[in-house]
Amino acid sequence: MDFFAQNQNYVVLGVTLILWLGVFLYMLSLDKKIKKIEKE
Amino acid sequence: MDKLLKYGLFIWLTAVICFAIVAPIPAVGNMGERARILYFHVPTAWVSTVAFVMALVYGAQYIRKRDILYDYKAASSAALGLIFAILATVTGAVWAKFEWGAFWNWDPRQTSIFVLILVYGAYFALRSAVESEEQRAKLSSVYSILAGITVPFFIFIFPRIVDSLHPDPIVNSSGKVKMDTNMLIVFLSSLAGFTGLYVWMLNLRVRIAKLNLKESS
Repeated sequence: MDFFAQNQNYVVLGVTLILWLGVFLYMLSLDKKIKKIEKE
Repeated sequence: MDKLLKYGLFIWLTAVICFAIVAPIPAVGNMGERARILYFHVPTAWVSTVAFVMALVYGAQYIRKRDILYDYKAASSAALGLIFAILATVTGAVWAKFEWGAFWNWDPRQTSIFVLILVYGAYFALRSAVESEEQRAKLSSVYSILAGITVPFFIFIFPRIVDSLHPDPIVNSSGKVKMDTNMLIVFLSSLAGFTGLYVWMLNLRVRIAKLNLKESS
């Protein structure tokens, strides 16, 4: 718990980056799927 | 969208997030670390404004050209605007809890964005209530134009003419930007990144709409 209290900004940074990576990967996969259907 | 642009956007926003959360910030009033909300809350509100204005533009284009694709573009942009407006409201409410002591205070800014959410919520209620595609496109295009006209009033005018607890807007009443240079760089980069994200999201939604159109015709 001490670790989280002392590194609050880095914990927030980690969580935000994970969320952003998730959004980005989702959008990328959606983009690929749409491209595939467009080519068909 | 070009592959390079997508990965470029990823790197750009990743860098913005890192700087926004970790880079030291100067004292802004007595807000301390809470001032970092600026890097995320304002861009979401900005994107919602851009999206609502674009919904107006696409609505007007539908009225002029009667091409159903413009109606889909308007609806897609309005949907994104609504999502970003909700995000701005939620991030603002969380900040307000720690700064003002309560999530909701009916501050002019909170009230105006709440009204905007209702206005665009009604836009989608209207769309779902009309079955005929052409009729729906006509009605919702006119509505998106009328709703778009109210956006500058709710976002820029109303909060400036009423006393508010909200911190000064970025461009303050004297028309000047009062912000530390480093903060301003991160903030503007965040604005650009969020706008890029909106463009990509709109592009995806419009392409899906095009595919649906193709399939139904």
